[in-house]
Amino acid sequence: MQAFFNITKGDRFIWIIVIALTLISMLAVYSSTGSLAFKYQEGNTEYYLIKHFGIFAFGLLLMYFAHLVNYKFYSKISLLLLLISLPLLLITLFFGVEINDARRWLTIPIVNMSFQTSDLAKLALIMYMARVLSKRQEKIKDFWKGFIPVMIPPVLTCAFIAPSNLSTAAILFATCLLLMFIGRVSMKYIFITLGGGVLVLTFIILIALCTPFKARVYTWQHRVENFANDPNGSYQVQQAKIAIAQGGVFGKGPGNSTQRNFLPSPYADFIFSIIIEEYGLFGGFVILLIYILFLLRCIKLFVKCPGAFGAFLAVGLSFALVIQAMINMAVVTNLLPVTGVTLPLVSMGGTSLWFTSLAIGIILSVSRFVEQNEKVETTEEAS
Amino acid sequence: MGIKRDIYWRIAIAFIAMVIFAIIILWKIFQIQYVEGDRWRAMADSLTTRYIAIDADRGNIYSSDNRLLATSLPTFEIRFDSKTKGLEEEYFNVTVGKLADSLAWLFRDRTSENYRSELIDARKNSEGYHLLKREISYTQLQRLKNFPIFRDGQYKGGLIVKQKNKRTYPFKVLANRTIGYVRDNGTKPVGLEAQFNDYLNGTKGKRLMQKVSGGNWMPVNDDEGLAPKNGKDIITTIDVAIQDVAEHALLKTLLKNKANHGCVIVMDVKTGAIKAIANLGIDKKDSTYKELYNYAIGEAHEPGSTFKLASMLALFEDGYKKLTDTINTEHGHKLYGKQVMKDAEEHGESRVTVKKCFAISSNVGISSMIYQSYVNNPDKFLKHLRDLQLDQVVGIEIPGEQRPYIKNVKDKFWSGVSLPWMSVGYELNITPLRLLTLYNAVANNGVMMKPYIVHLIQEYGQPTKEFIPIVLNPKICSDATLLSLKEILNEVVISGTAHNLFNPYYSVAGKTGTAQITNVGGGYKDKVYQSSFYGYFPADAPQYSIAIVINAPSTGVYYGSAVAGPVFKEIADNIFSTNLDMHPSIEKDTTSYNVTLPIVKTGFSSDLKYLVNNLRIPFANVEEGTWLQQVVNKKKVELISSNKIVIAGVVPDVKGMGLRDAIYLLESSGLQVKVDGKGVVKNQSLPAGTKILKGAFITITLNT
Repeated sequence: MQAFFNITKGDRFIWIIVIALTLISMLAVYSSTGSLAFKYQEGNTEYYLIKHFGIFAFGLLLMYFAHLVNYKFYSKISLLLLLISLPLLLITLFFGVEINDARRWLTIPIVNMSFQTSDLAKLALIMYMARVLSKRQEKIKDFWKGFIPVMIPPVLTCAFIAPSNLSTAAILFATCLLLMFIGRVSMKYIFITLGGGVLVLTFIILIALCTPFKARVYTWQHRVENFANDPNGSYQVQQAKIAIAQGGVFGKGPGNSTQRNFLPSPYADFIFSIIIEEYGLFGGFVILLIYILFLLRCIKLFVKCPGAFGAFLAVGLSFALVIQAMINMAVVTNLLPVTGVTLPLVSMGGTSLWFTSLAIGIILSVSRFVEQNEKVETTEEAS
Repeated sequence: MGIKRDIYWRIAIAFIAMVIFAIIILWKIFQIQYVEGDRWRAMADSLTTRYIAIDADRGNIYSSDNRLLATSLPTFEIRFDSKTKGLEEEYFNVTVGKLADSLAWLFRDRTSENYRSELIDARKNSEGYHLLKREISYTQLQRLKNFPIFRDGQYKGGLIVKQKNKRTYPFKVLANRTIGYVRDNGTKPVGLEAQFNDYLNGTKGKRLMQKVSGGNWMPVNDDEGLAPKNGKDIITTIDVAIQDVAEHALLKTLLKNKANHGCVIVMDVKTGAIKAIANLGIDKKDSTYKELYNYAIGEAHEPGSTFKLASMLALFEDGYKKLTDTINTEHGHKLYGKQVMKDAEEHGESRVTVKKCFAISSNVGISSMIYQSYVNNPDKFLKHLRDLQLDQVVGIEIPGEQRPYIKNVKDKFWSGVSLPWMSVGYELNITPLRLLTLYNAVANNGVMMKPYIVHLIQEYGQPTKEFIPIVLNPKICSDATLLSLKEILNEVVISGTAHNLFNPYYSVAGKTGTAQITNVGGGYKDKVYQSSFYGYFPADAPQYSIAIVINAPSTGVYYGSAVAGPVFKEIADNIFSTNLDMHPSIEKDTTSYNVTLPIVKTGFSSDLKYLVNNLRIPFANVEEGTWLQQVVNKKKVELISSNKIVIAGVVPDVKGMGLRDAIYLLESSGLQVKVDGKGVVKNQSLPAGTKILKGAFITITLNT
């Protein structure tokens, strides 16, 4: 452990949280991929565990390198990334890999790997928001000089994401509104943005109905109607609830889930229900606590961070991550309609895990700077 | 700093919002677990675990010699899950042709192209449960599991196999109406399968199963649950060999005489056990004969002349007639009121003995005797019939036995001619099985046995219920009457209507019947007859009684002897030829003969002794030795030691030996043998006693 902390810098607490989530994820994924293994790997249940571990290892590597980079560098490339991600979103929308009527994935030509462009856009957008909010802090209450540059990027990005992935767009948009609120954008403007967002969304739906995106509209409609009309929820939600109900206080114990056999893709969006089934209410509480503590540590960075960009970066990324986590858990517990958002760092998944890792790496980069800064201050005070 | 403070409280608000969010989630988990918990958990139980019925194996039906008449074999239904996730498009497209080839090769019912398009269509239409083939055998399934695509199993290859137990009858149509069937489709169950359904069925087991990965069900607990109780086995009295002969003989006669239907019953005289019961009727659809109905027990009809046995029993028993009394047969023509009684076969006789009257089956003669004797008290005659239980069912285990109809004097259909007509087997209905019981009783020295077809009920090879022969009537008549009855039945074959059954090998007793068939509306059809023969054999020590009834032969031949007789003969011949204990034993031959003693070849001691011992050749072992040879002696074979004991390194003397011994001795001493001629060794190219050169050739010359 000490050797690990010798090579890593930044907040040890955040590192511990990452490791903890990784371990929980390993256990939950191993347990819940059983039927998948029986279907495709002839019962070789280790297959998915090893695959998942490989993905995690690469994610940790990404995190490690990201945290070694000076966080100010992220300010510089954020605009570039945003400028890249916006056209990529458009390309995806029209030429991406189609899965379940939605084009969310883009294949990188040479390495032949697919990734969700919205993951990249999300990271780029929040980095850019941190940059804009920090730079324009002095004139933030000004409509043209403060508000407009802050408002344009999220509206555009989310508008591009929305047709294929409305829930991600909505969550991202909400996160940006929260960041605006934190970044002292006046409430009046925030409500205007919100209104604008709703307008754009209506516009998108109207356009979508006349285009091949029509099917997506029906999917949204269906999901929302399901949620509103059926108090028990869809099949997936019912199975998740059965899993939760069977968990009790301390759960059935690792690997003893039975609902994994009934819940479709239990290793993905609904992994939280398997965790509760196996580890109980207590397990669910621990997961929630971990995310809250993570948020708290990142807020602490904000307080300590001398530069406004770093502070906004840490808070922005951490809120984005925790909001996603909360929404995922709210879906599993049927507080919100089914969205398709994963539980960050826990759900099995490829590239989106790496973007999450990158985000945490960036936060750690900020914390590394904060720590160095503290050392300098203490030495200065001592001298 | 104002800005930073401003931001601090904003973050604080956002953070608290997140904490509240987390608390709401936690509260919701709590609610699902404790407020709605019972409901969800109940749902879980109904989903994950289930009591699954385990089918019990249906019992088998065996013949008396333990051959399977009915059994259940597993068959398999093959379905194709064309949308299974593991089956990749490219692989399917490339391999579907090979799979189609294999299927066409295995089943040989359709072309490969046919199968190919079926599979492709199924996939195009995303059929998840496409039926490919029903009722394939286990061996076929094993082959199929190695075919391309299917060898990848259910998830990658889309192969779905469902097992079903199919009732099979190894002897196909043999006695299949009697064995019967129980079908799921609502058809009325028939035969032993129906009657013993409760025994054969067994009870279904129940087992708590849980759904596990791969869509399989796994028992929750090894020892929990109710094990299925397999059905019991039924051992019948049916003898497959006799049944087979009966069925074939019946079919042959039906075909030859273009009859409508017929039946045969073969009964064991001593016990009443039914050894064979064959029923064949013409199937109008394809004009072939099939087991459509159990006529033997389900069709009561007017028996005609075969019923005369009962009339004779009454006459003898009441002392009205003796064998030697004479009776006027009036040339086969007599009026009862306005009704004419005719003899079926013309005989030209007028005054005959009672014995002859029965043998030539004179309706006039027998009806006259009965009429004379019982006209003032018909019920006295009817009481005999009732005492013989001819008006009752025998209670055979096969469902559907028809009740005979023997009317009494108070019956509204009773008329002045009822008595004479009943005496010759009309105006009454009786099943072949019921009437055979009477013939069997005569054969069995007056003891009437209850016919039965199920001998034993077994469970897991252990008998659980045994059916012992039941006596219906321990003495149907006096001994004197019985003797007379046997004599008149013998006479039928010796000089009467069934003379064609007379043979020098075994004696037959019985009675022919040639009855006119009634129309549905009453009255008799012109020239439509029912030909029958009831009898037993060997007449002097009866073992089997047989009834044969052939309905509506249509080639102009209709006499019982000509139509039903050959069936009896074929069955009796067959039983007789395969039962050595029926043959009269050949007297032990005590005469002595002068025979020349055989010449015994020189050979191995124990072999020679075994030979002469078993052939009862008188011999004396004068001298012991490994190898023995014969000394010429006229009275007996004297065996002395041969000097040809093998001495290492020296050529043995094989003269006088058979080829087998000679070659054994020579080759085992290292020589290579060339053989010339056959019989006993007369000459050997290397003299005995010379030293052996390894691998040297020796030629032996044999001669008889």
